[in-house]
Amino acid sequence: MDDPRPTTDAERFLRLAQREARGRLTVYLGAAPGVGKTYRMLQDAARRQGEGVDVVVGIAESHGRSETAILLEPFAVLPRKTVTYEGHSLDEFDIDAALERRPGLILVDELAHTNAPGSRHPKRWQDVAELLVSGIDVATTLNIQHIESLNDIVAGFTHVRVRETVPDSILDSAEIILVDLPPEALIERLHAGKIYLPETAGQALANFFTPAKLAALRELALRFAAGSVDRRLLDDLAISPAEGDFAVGERLLVAVSPGKGGARVIRHAKRLADLAHASWTAVVVESGGARGVAGSQREQLAENLALASSLGAGLMTVAATDVAQALVDQARELRASQIVVGKSRRSRWFEWRHGSIAQDVIRKARGIAVQVVPLDEADERPAPVREANPYSAPALALMLVMAMMVPLWLAETWLPASAIDMLLLLPVIVAASMIGLQAGLWAAVFAALAYNFFFTAPRFTLFITSAGDILTFAALALVAGVIGALAGKVRRQAETSAGVARLNASLARFAGLLGGVSDRDATARVACREIGALLGVQAIIVADEAGHMVVRGNDSFPRLDLVDEAAARWTLEHGQATGRDTGTLNASDWQFHPLQTALGIMGALGVARPEQGRVIRADDATLLASLIDQTALAHERLVLEEDARQVDGLRERDRLRGALLGSIAHDLRTPLTAVIAAAETIPATGDYAEEVRIARTEARRLERFLGDLLEASRIEHGAIEPRLETLDLTDVVAAVLRDLRQDRDGGRVDTRIAPECPLIMSDPVLLRHVLINLIDNALKFAPEDTRVEVAVDTAPDGVTCAVRDRGPGLPPDHANLFERFERLEGSDRVGGSGLGLWIARNFTEALGGHIAASNREGGGAAFVVTLPVAASGSEALRPTDDA
Amino acid sequence: MMRKDVLIIDDEPSIRRLLTSALDRAGITHAEAANAGEALRYAQATPAPLVALLDLGLPDRDGLEIVPQLAALGLSVIILTARDATQEKVAALDLGADDFVTKPFDSEELLARIRSALRRKAGPLINVHRREFAGGHIDRDTHEVIVRGERAELTPREFNLLWALADRPGRVVTHESLLEQVWGPAHRHDLDYLRVAIRSLRRKLEVAPATPRLLINEPGVGYRVAES
Repeated sequence: MDDPRPTTDAERFLRLAQREARGRLTVYLGAAPGVGKTYRMLQDAARRQGEGVDVVVGIAESHGRSETAILLEPFAVLPRKTVTYEGHSLDEFDIDAALERRPGLILVDELAHTNAPGSRHPKRWQDVAELLVSGIDVATTLNIQHIESLNDIVAGFTHVRVRETVPDSILDSAEIILVDLPPEALIERLHAGKIYLPETAGQALANFFTPAKLAALRELALRFAAGSVDRRLLDDLAISPAEGDFAVGERLLVAVSPGKGGARVIRHAKRLADLAHASWTAVVVESGGARGVAGSQREQLAENLALASSLGAGLMTVAATDVAQALVDQARELRASQIVVGKSRRSRWFEWRHGSIAQDVIRKARGIAVQVVPLDEADERPAPVREANPYSAPALALMLVMAMMVPLWLAETWLPASAIDMLLLLPVIVAASMIGLQAGLWAAVFAALAYNFFFTAPRFTLFITSAGDILTFAALALVAGVIGALAGKVRRQAETSAGVARLNASLARFAGLLGGVSDRDATARVACREIGALLGVQAIIVADEAGHMVVRGNDSFPRLDLVDEAAARWTLEHGQATGRDTGTLNASDWQFHPLQTALGIMGALGVARPEQGRVIRADDATLLASLIDQTALAHERLVLEEDARQVDGLRERDRLRGALLGSIAHDLRTPLTAVIAAAETIPATGDYAEEVRIARTEARRLERFLGDLLEASRIEHGAIEPRLETLDLTDVVAAVLRDLRQDRDGGRVDTRIAPECPLIMSDPVLLRHVLINLIDNALKFAPEDTRVEVAVDTAPDGVTCAVRDRGPGLPPDHANLFERFERLEGSDRVGGSGLGLWIARNFTEALGGHIAASNREGGGAAFVVTLPVAASGSEALRPTDDA
Repeated sequence: MMRKDVLIIDDEPSIRRLLTSALDRAGITHAEAANAGEALRYAQATPAPLVALLDLGLPDRDGLEIVPQLAALGLSVIILTARDATQEKVAALDLGADDFVTKPFDSEELLARIRSALRRKAGPLINVHRREFAGGHIDRDTHEVIVRGERAELTPREFNLLWALADRPGRVVTHESLLEQVWGPAHRHDLDYLRVAIRSLRRKLEVAPATPRLLINEPGVGYRVAES
């Protein structure tokens, strides 16, 4: 896993920003029950409510204490949800109600609480995490002994192990408010009966309340709160140590073993990592010997890994026969500065025979600090590996020796005596190398006995008379021992590398199969079939298609039931594993993993196993991760292929559209040119004067409409490239009036240009379109007998060109005036493409200016275009003449 | 063979028909070509037509390509072009075209341009020092500019600018050409000089400087001075 620490300012700000979008968590932390956490939380909440924050009590325990109950009164309290479990009805926090209510701040007492079975999350802290993600601020209470990484320490001096723990990660971004009460005062309160203790806890909990233990707990809480303030400061003030310090200096590697002690080592590593502000990685070394690890040990290993992951460690599995060497190599590769290993208290004899990984690591880890965590005997590693067929080993050895005896017995007369010793080695070697050390030793014993019985005098007795016979016996035993050990090691190595090769081969085959399919159904079918076969599970792929959960890949499971669907949806939405054996919605029979890619979550892979136990065995976890990656990649490839096809389609459509526009430009404009020229030629006099006038006007309008369509398509294709030059608005306005035939006598436009108005920097063609649209519009809307005013003036941010008319003005709601196909009320009588103002706005903006519309005093509309002044605009006004 | 006044070069039969009809009514003789090859054949005939009315979108060649050839054969070239095709207009003028008319054209305007071109072709100038324009004249000999019967006081630069325009009255002179003639080749891109000088000239010559009728700008192309 990558270093979760932000490494750049940008990331740090991003994280701060994320913290803003997420709800804020306030934790009232106490050293022990009864210090007044809930009381203080309610007090603070009352203050917040007074400040206008919408505060709701999600769940709060008054434990019958009257002062707490009184404090609860001013708040809205969410009704609890009743969950029936095995005949008991339990009141639980109702997270759905809380999410629906969306308060500004919700109070959720007792963060470490375990929810009733069947709830959405097994733990209350998970409910809180969900509230935070959906942006709701949460206040909660917590006792120090419930913090996961402190669990061992607390258990160490209180001798009470707390089962309900909260992962440290949820507290990372929380504001910790320490509720402190000196031990004496606490004990006094206990004696005064002010502290509620559950009856079941009884004496055990009461054992907490000794001055020494309370002092220790208090110190722990103080230290934790102080550390938390430190961390937040580091994040917020960006005074975290230089990047290099993290990269090289502070990474921890912890060796995870299958034993119960593994968890203890992991918690210890977490504390060390926190103290050093370091990131840490949990490493499992798969040695060949692990084949002897029993199922329960495997589960323990998986639990240990899950614990490490929940405490924020990166996970890693390495295959090697030499565990210590593998750990040291991995530490070097990760540039870790410390290795944490556990070491059981065992007899020297045991260590001499089996070696100690901790000792080996210390010997090999030059330059890397090694922390050894002592483990109790209860935490011990499993007994040494036992051979696969313990009972048949002597029998097999006996058979081998007997088989050898037959030819020896027959050939004894012509074989030299020394050859018999040598040949008797044969079954020993075979047994030791092929079956195992045990069988080899058994074979040695049988061979020695047989030799003694059949071939030494006195024959057919087991008496040993000569020293030579004793030597033979010892030699046989030694050979069996050495060969057995060597062969065993070779076999284990071969098995390990065969295992790795098998893994690689199956992954390669998997990738190959996925590469050969090209649609979603086939990909899902292949992926599920192969994953199922490789892991011995049922597999499905679930995807959300337009709000529907679609199940693919396994015909036996066409759809999901509600619980499973909820889990799958959660995985799709949050990118977390859910379902069986996980921390979220684990009532589901399926375990869902997100198919995560750079493009997002492509779906969820569901795995299930009909029998009891973990769905995915610990040693299959790495394989599953690789299979998930491959499946996700295959899905990503499908999406990219689909995109590529669509892009091709779009490109083709664009080409067609371009061709269509080209043909409009030519094929429509050419006849229109002829029509207009013809219409202009006919004298507008006599009986048909009005018809000729209409023909002319409408033909011109049609031409402009066509022009608008072409310009609009240029805008849509982003094909507007202004060619800026120094312009005098006088010229542009004059050209527009000429085009609109308004420059002659009888024109309806009055032009006024401020004498010292600066030159502008603009594109004459685009600007002409803007003004022709505005002025034509004004002429269209204003009654025939009114005049349109065009005024050019200097403004603080450039030069304005205002077009004002005495028409009906703008409708009250004209926010969308500059949008496409927005016509003013009643404007269809006057005609127009509905594109004119949209084009005007787009062109003006492309020219670096802006456009605005308003109603005039005394009636009519005013459109004002503001354009940027030419860089040398004011200077250019100075005479450049020889004057 | 009789000399034709105008050679119409357009691949669109309806436009050709329309133009011929308008020219007939105006009493201007004409010939027609539907493509560049045909046009060049006509232009090389003796006697060559006086004016070529050239649509740049031809089926066999880019109309711009034959502009220099037509000009070299002594024809006044008037191009028919789309309004926004400013670069095309400037290029045609640079290649020796005389004038342009934007589509969709109105035949009155087109006939006016053709007449103007024919006039320039018709006879040699009577006075090499004097040019007429709408409402006045400029005299290089006397350094006089008379507008609406009154003498206008121009600076030497303004005088030179007006002369550069009036030398070919009614024809568009590109911005760059004006700058080069009046300010020198180094300033051929200093458009702001030209804008300011035109503004100053307008104040002295136009009836209403805000709505110029004498010094007319063709956006993106150049200026022309209105003919008398």
